[in-house]
Amino acid sequence: MYDICIIGSGAGASPIAYELSSAGYKVVVLEKGEYYKEEDFNKDELAVSRRDMFTPPLWEQKHIINEYSQSGKFTRYDGEESGWNFWNGSLVGGSSNLMSGYFHRMKPKDFELLSSYGEIKGANVVDWAITYDELEPYYDKVEKVIGVSGKVVKHKYQEPRSSQDFPYRELKTNGVTEWFDAACKELQFSAIPTPRAVLSQNALGRNACYYSNFCGSYGCASGAKGSARAALLQKCKAEIITDAFVYRLDSKEGKVTKAKYYTKHGISHTVNAKIFVLAAQAIETSRLLLNSKNKEFPNGMANSSGEVGKNLIFSAGGSGSGRFIFENLTKEQQQELMQVGVFFNRSLQDWYDYNDGCHIYKGGTIDFLFEHQNIVSRASREMYDAEGNLLWGEKLADRIQKRLTTSRVLTFEVFNDWLPTDNCSVSVDAEVEDKYGVPVGVINLNSHPHDLEVGEHLAQKAVEVLEKMGAVEIEYSISASPPPNLVAGGCRFGNDARTSVLNRECRAHDLENLYVSDASFMPTGGSVPYTWTIYANSFRIADVIRKALRV
Amino acid sequence: MKNINRRSFLKVGFLSSTVLIMNGCELFGITTSQETIAVLQNDLFPKAEELGIDTVSYMSIISHHSRISKSDKKFIKNGVKWLNEEAVELYKKSYINLPSQERQSVLNSIVQTKWGSSWLDTMMRYILEASLGDPIYGSNKKEAGWKWLSFEGGQPRPKKAFL
Repeated sequence: MYDICIIGSGAGASPIAYELSSAGYKVVVLEKGEYYKEEDFNKDELAVSRRDMFTPPLWEQKHIINEYSQSGKFTRYDGEESGWNFWNGSLVGGSSNLMSGYFHRMKPKDFELLSSYGEIKGANVVDWAITYDELEPYYDKVEKVIGVSGKVVKHKYQEPRSSQDFPYRELKTNGVTEWFDAACKELQFSAIPTPRAVLSQNALGRNACYYSNFCGSYGCASGAKGSARAALLQKCKAEIITDAFVYRLDSKEGKVTKAKYYTKHGISHTVNAKIFVLAAQAIETSRLLLNSKNKEFPNGMANSSGEVGKNLIFSAGGSGSGRFIFENLTKEQQQELMQVGVFFNRSLQDWYDYNDGCHIYKGGTIDFLFEHQNIVSRASREMYDAEGNLLWGEKLADRIQKRLTTSRVLTFEVFNDWLPTDNCSVSVDAEVEDKYGVPVGVINLNSHPHDLEVGEHLAQKAVEVLEKMGAVEIEYSISASPPPNLVAGGCRFGNDARTSVLNRECRAHDLENLYVSDASFMPTGGSVPYTWTIYANSFRIADVIRKALRV
Repeated sequence: MKNINRRSFLKVGFLSSTVLIMNGCELFGITTSQETIAVLQNDLFPKAEELGIDTVSYMSIISHHSRISKSDKKFIKNGVKWLNEEAVELYKKSYINLPSQERQSVLNSIVQTKWGSSWLDTMMRYILEASLGDPIYGSNKKEAGWKWLSFEGGQPRPKKAFL
């Protein structure tokens, strides 16, 4: 019998494994994927980005996607047939291995979205069950334990901090960041060095970043990236079982008794523990609960409220880009532009909220970064001319060579709240099963028009910066397409057991020994990437569980 | 001739298997995906041959790849058939037996169709993968594709191909 059984091994799971195993408890982590370590990671674009080596093939495991329109009608997509892929990383450490590590804290008002900005028709906005002040010590802990590099600068929305600055200095940046800073100064915007969960120096028993030029989507070969594996799991005594797909939880008299998992060969195993922690990433966490029906929970485990799977959220916004071309630059600037390896690392949060003259809107964050260095992807983007015609022959070769060797693209990503709505949720399909014979998750997708309005406002600000910097071919797309790697909700926490799945400590209202510690607990997502908040909240829950085990 | 049993024949993949070219309801001729694709790849991206990049051998990897779905492999093979049938309809010859200019006309014709634009897009992406993927896959010889674009690749490089 284990003290704690954790399902999943990513950012929501690993702080608990680390803290509780370090405190002497017997912890087991069940991970569906394989165990890759630093020495296993490389920069093979064909394997990582073209053949998706870290996620399951869609013909073995997929989702059904119902995309809702504003009229309430939906179109059904089969994930395998459509290629619509919501997997983010099935490996020890989860998708935190593959993140870019753009780390922003949520702001105090993000915890009180309803109180601060009021109701929005058609959206299920609520305040969080905890405040920023309660999570702040854990944000601080993440900076020190996971390792966050950066530089605190004064700006209107700088959140309160218990440490003066980041524990690790900023990573090295490309000279073009100076063009960015100058443009922002002229526009009276506050350029922020983007904090990164990447070590700028050897520390915490890990090596510094070696500026490989391939960070996002790739595993880190030095251990500099603060993945849950490198920063936590490799340093603790928790037992990790790979090739363990948990398909069902059993319960008796208000307690989870067993987690059952299949190996890839379909052999079933059972794990007994005093406490169970679910952190399989938002969609799969809800799916597992909904697939774990029994007499006690006929609608799915922990689902007496009927809220499991409800209010799924993503990060709203979109992305854009501008191109810098040699013809408009001096020789020196051309060299600066083409310097690879070092980061861009700049963000804007000037419009974290804004007033359009009639209303105060909750705004968001804009991160700027160079186009990913993946060479096949970059060349492929040149396959079509401006009119959308497919090119081939010498015309295509000339275009690729000119564009890739005498220009470079600076991109931006907009993060704003994806408002929770009734039609954005997780359920399970009545007929379609995965390779294990388990009903697949259904992702019901719906976005609120308000999200697009805010995203548009932010994107236009990013365009102003690119214009001021002298970029050409500036374009952007704000859309209702959900980014699969920025997903949360489905098991809201709250103080009312009738309207939430988890209590403020992220324990199921219905079960005394079941915690959910991935992003499922989040009722709203803030306007930043989620990983820092997931880590921080998981450290918070680790303290809760430690207290519970002492009793 | 070396004996080839059914199982090892299947392992050869779609590249060497026979493609029947129909002219309406009549059988016009027979080809293999490999011979059509070899000519097509040179028509689409002659730069590869100039750089010494072996795009045809890369398609052999694709034809066996564990992460390319059966339906994607079937689509490649079907495209070979449809390309040839378009060539027969326009010029009464299979694609590889046409002179260069007429092959270009066939490409210009199929790119106007839904399947044709999708198939050419797919084939072009595989050519770019062959030309710019890590040399461990065997096609981007001596990093010729990378050197062409002043690209150095990322470190560490893979020690084995992901198949």
